[in-house]
Amino acid sequence: MSKRVRPLEITKSVGKNILVILLIIYIAGPFLWVMSASFQGENELLKKPPSIIPQHPTTDNYRYVFTGKVPTSYEVKGQLRSRISQEARLIAPALKNSFIIAFSVLLINLLFATPAAYAFARMRWRFKGGAYNFILASRLMPAIAIAIPYYVIIQSLKLMDTHLSLILVHSALTIPFSIWFLTLYISNTPRDMEEAGLVDGCNNLQVLTRIVVPMILPGLVAMSAFAFMTSYNEFLFARFLTTSISSQTGPVIISSISGNPDVSYSLISVCLTLGMIPPIILAITMRKWLTEGLSSTITFR
Amino acid sequence: MSTTVSSAAGTAKRRGNSNGSRGSLFSYASITPALLVIALFTIYPVFYAIRISLFQYILTKPKSHPFIGLKNFQEVVTSYYFKDAVINSVVYTIAAVTGVMLFGLMVALLLNSKIRTVTLLKVLILLPWAIPAVVAGLMWKWILNSDFGILNGILYSLGVVRSYIPFLADPVLARLSLVLAHVWKEGPLAAIFILAGLQLIPNEFYEAARIDGGGSLRVFRFITLPLLRPILLVVLVYETMSAILTFDIVYVLTGGGPGDSTSLLSWFAYAEIYKFLNLGGGIALSIIIALITLMLIFLYMRALRTEDTIS
Repeated sequence: MSKRVRPLEITKSVGKNILVILLIIYIAGPFLWVMSASFQGENELLKKPPSIIPQHPTTDNYRYVFTGKVPTSYEVKGQLRSRISQEARLIAPALKNSFIIAFSVLLINLLFATPAAYAFARMRWRFKGGAYNFILASRLMPAIAIAIPYYVIIQSLKLMDTHLSLILVHSALTIPFSIWFLTLYISNTPRDMEEAGLVDGCNNLQVLTRIVVPMILPGLVAMSAFAFMTSYNEFLFARFLTTSISSQTGPVIISSISGNPDVSYSLISVCLTLGMIPPIILAITMRKWLTEGLSSTITFR
Repeated sequence: MSTTVSSAAGTAKRRGNSNGSRGSLFSYASITPALLVIALFTIYPVFYAIRISLFQYILTKPKSHPFIGLKNFQEVVTSYYFKDAVINSVVYTIAAVTGVMLFGLMVALLLNSKIRTVTLLKVLILLPWAIPAVVAGLMWKWILNSDFGILNGILYSLGVVRSYIPFLADPVLARLSLVLAHVWKEGPLAAIFILAGLQLIPNEFYEAARIDGGGSLRVFRFITLPLLRPILLVVLVYETMSAILTFDIVYVLTGGGPGDSTSLLSWFAYAEIYKFLNLGGGIALSIIIALITLMLIFLYMRALRTEDTIS
C-alpha cells in the first residue's frame, strides 16, 4: 500500500479516534463521576444540574465515614441534616471483612488447586476423567438454586455469620475454575524439566514445588487474582450467610446502605469509591497477567 | 497448542509407569482436599434442592411439609408472573447479549488496531469487569437518578432535554438502563476474549487479502469474521448464560421494577423465596433456570467440538 495520506484515510482515522474517546468516556465516566461526587457536599450534589467537577471540594464525607464527624454541609442546611446514614460508617470494617475472606480464599485456592491441577495435567490415575468432569460440572448450578441449601449447610455447621462460612463457600465457588485454569496452563508448558527432576531423584512433591510452581508462576498470579476478585465481588451468598458487621462484606454493606431511604448520596459515593479501590488497583497493576490469563482460557486448546 | 486434559492423559500413558503407585497415591492426596470442599458444596446442595422442590415448603407454615410431587413446578409455571418473566428474560437476554457482542467486537477491533488513543482504553477496559456488580449497579442507579442524576444534569445543560427524564421509573427506559449497565459491566470481558481471538489470526491472511485488493470492510467480512467464528460462538454462549443468570445488577439497579418490568426469571426465584416465602416454589423455579442453563452448556460443548474438528 502506498504511504500517501489520502483524505479518506484521515477521516477514517479521526472517526476511529472519536469512537475510542467516546468509549473511554462510557467506560471511565461512571468511575470519575462517583469519585468526584464523593468529594462534594450533599447540598452541592443535589443541585440541578449537579457540577461535574466539585466547586467546593471537601474531604468531610471521608472524615465522617472514618471518624464519625458530621460534615459541615449537613449542619448548614437544616433540612438535609437527617439525610445521613450511620450505616455508611460500617464500610471500613466491611471492607476489612472482605479482605480477610478474599485473601483466605486466595490462599486456599493456591494450596488446594495447584496440586490438584498438577495431578490432572501430568499424573495418571483412576477416575481422573470422572473427577475432572465432576469438578467442572459443579459450577453449573445457578447460585440462586443452591443459596438455600448453602444456608442449611452453614447453619448445621454452626458457622452462620462467620468469616469461615464465606471462606468455605467462596473457595467451593472458585476452586473449580482455578483447577481448570491451572490444568490448561500446566498442560501447555513443556515437561522436559520435570522429567529431568525425576531422573535426578526428586519425588513428586519436590518436582511440583521446585520445578512446576516456578514455571507456572504467571498462571498462579492470574489464578490468585481471579480467586481474590471473585470472592471480593461476590454478593448473593454473602447476603444470605451474614447477619452482622462481624462478617458482612463490602458489597452487602454497600447494597444495604443504598437501600436506606435516608441515605446521603455523598456517603454512598464515598462507600462506592472505597469499595472499588482494591479491585481497581489489582486490575491496573496486574493488567498483563489478567489479560493473558483471560485470553488463555479461550485460546488454549 | 493442542493439549487438552485428555491428550495430557494420553502423554502420561505413553510415559508408562515411571511414576508407579507412588504417583497415583500422590495424585489422590493432591486431589482430595479440593474435591472434598467442592463435593460438600455440590452434591449435598443439589440433592437438598431437588428434595425441597418436591415438598411444600412455605416459611409461614413451618410445621407442615407434605410431599406434593411436581406441584411446585406446576404452580410456578402457571403463576401470574411466569409468562411475563419468561418474556422479560428472553427480551433482556437478546438485548443484553446483542449489546455485549457488538460492544465486544467493536472494542476488540479497535484495541487490535494501531490508533494512538487506544492505549488508554487498554488500561481502562478491565475496570468494569473487575469491580463488584453491586457497585456497578449502584453507580449507574445514581447516574440515572431522575431527580439528581448526572446524566440528566448533562443532558439538561446541553439542552438535549427540557426536563429531567425518569430513566428508572419508566418501564421501557428502565429496561434500556439495565441493558446499558449490563453491557458496561460484561462487555469488557467479551472484548478481551474476542481480542484474544483476533490475535490468533496470522498476519499473512490480512496481507494476502490486501494484495488481492480487498477493502477493509471486505477483509472483515471474508477474513476476520469467518476465522473469528469459533471464538464468537463460545463468547456468545457464555454471555447468554450470564445474561440469563443476571441477578446482582437487577437487585440494586431496578429491584425488578417499575412494576414487574425488569423482573427476570432469576429475580422471581429470589422473590418466591424471600418475598412470597415459598421455598419449594423458589427452588423449583431455580431448577427450571438451571435446566435452561444446562441446555445452553450442552450447546456450548457441541459448539466447541465442531470447532475442534474444524481446526
